[in-house]
Amino acid sequence: MSEKKSAWVLPPISVAAGPLYQQIVDGFKRGISEGRLVEGAALPSFRQLAGDLMVSVITVKRAYEELERDGIILRRQGLGTFVARNGDDRSRQIKAERAEELMRAAVREAREAGLAEKEIADLFHRVNTKEKS
Amino acid sequence: MNDNAIEIRGLKKSFARFQLGPLDLTVPQGAIYGLIGPNAAGKTTMLDLLMGMGDPDAGSITVLGLDHRRDEVAMKRQVGYASPETDYRSWVKVKKLIQFVRGFYPTWDESYCQKLLRDFRVNPADSLTTLSLGTRVKLGLILALAWHPKVLILDEPTVGLDAVSKKQIFAELFAAMNQEERTVIISSHGLSELERFADCIGMIKDGRLLLEGATDEIVERYKMVDFVAENETVLVRREGICLQKREGDHCRALVDIQRNGLESLAARGARQILATPVTLEDIFVALAGEANP
Repeated sequence: MSEKKSAWVLPPISVAAGPLYQQIVDGFKRGISEGRLVEGAALPSFRQLAGDLMVSVITVKRAYEELERDGIILRRQGLGTFVARNGDDRSRQIKAERAEELMRAAVREAREAGLAEKEIADLFHRVNTKEKS
Repeated sequence: MNDNAIEIRGLKKSFARFQLGPLDLTVPQGAIYGLIGPNAAGKTTMLDLLMGMGDPDAGSITVLGLDHRRDEVAMKRQVGYASPETDYRSWVKVKKLIQFVRGFYPTWDESYCQKLLRDFRVNPADSLTTLSLGTRVKLGLILALAWHPKVLILDEPTVGLDAVSKKQIFAELFAAMNQEERTVIISSHGLSELERFADCIGMIKDGRLLLEGATDEIVERYKMVDFVAENETVLVRREGICLQKREGDHCRALVDIQRNGLESLAARGARQILATPVTLEDIFVALAGEANP
């Protein structure tokens, strides 16, 4: 995949903006949820990223450990670190967007069927409570 | 030998107007150790003692398992040192100085030296007597880096440098520190840089160690806390709470939340407690400015 080589750069981080490792974590989450870092894309090595950002290797390690714990990235011994398949922010966001799309379609259908605002709202609540149980 | 590259134990040195120590300091193997402290805190005195300039009154200094006095030569074969106070003028030209220094180190890396000279824009043909402070500082760093020492002692490597040169020096240093298994002590007032790349921080004030530990742990241990208290003295006169500001019953203090949890502040009568994260610089300013008990 050519995207793997795409030069996505983590946004700059600053000591004034809270814990450094957290900024790295957030930067990657954003990059992944915006689709700029796709499944299977390789992350830079500890040393490489530490050098690029001028932060301690320990800081990068800590950020990667957190991302790994959240299931957003995978570490493969000897191979490197990659964006994981599931459970990432991106899939969550895509799901939310898809849900909105489906709801819009449902509302359109209901209107076309001549349902009033109140009836549409009631319908939503009924479906929602049914789904929960 | 253990996991510490440098161990300072019970170090003491008295001068007419200043007393260093007793001081304990521990630098783990492979760490970048940021030594911070207000002016005249004793940072340079400590580093000078480490490098054998002057005899301590008491205590010991061990570098890579070597006693800094008894095994002085063996130790110095592994320790690069740069200080803006070094006077090179007697060698007249940059080139001559490099030839002289090179002779001491079997591991001297001439191509790396040339690269650093180019990167830092130091001209080997220049006269040492007319170098600017910035160029002298850069030259000192080149001489310390060019033979790949296992331990680097850098006393204020960015003093007198403009913002661009400072950034360049930190970038070059960081590259040099990062690529090899090397231990570095760097004394600096560039606190935001140190917060980024130093693994450990030691803060010295009035000749004593005030604080030492992993940088992220230190930064997370402290919070700037705003609160309302009718009688703030019960709260503030405690270890680990450093009052910054008071207006009426509104107070702001730097709080070591490991020693004083926010609940304990509330239990002692503080209300409307709001804690915000701090930078290393905030901690420094608060602790350095605190009057001695």
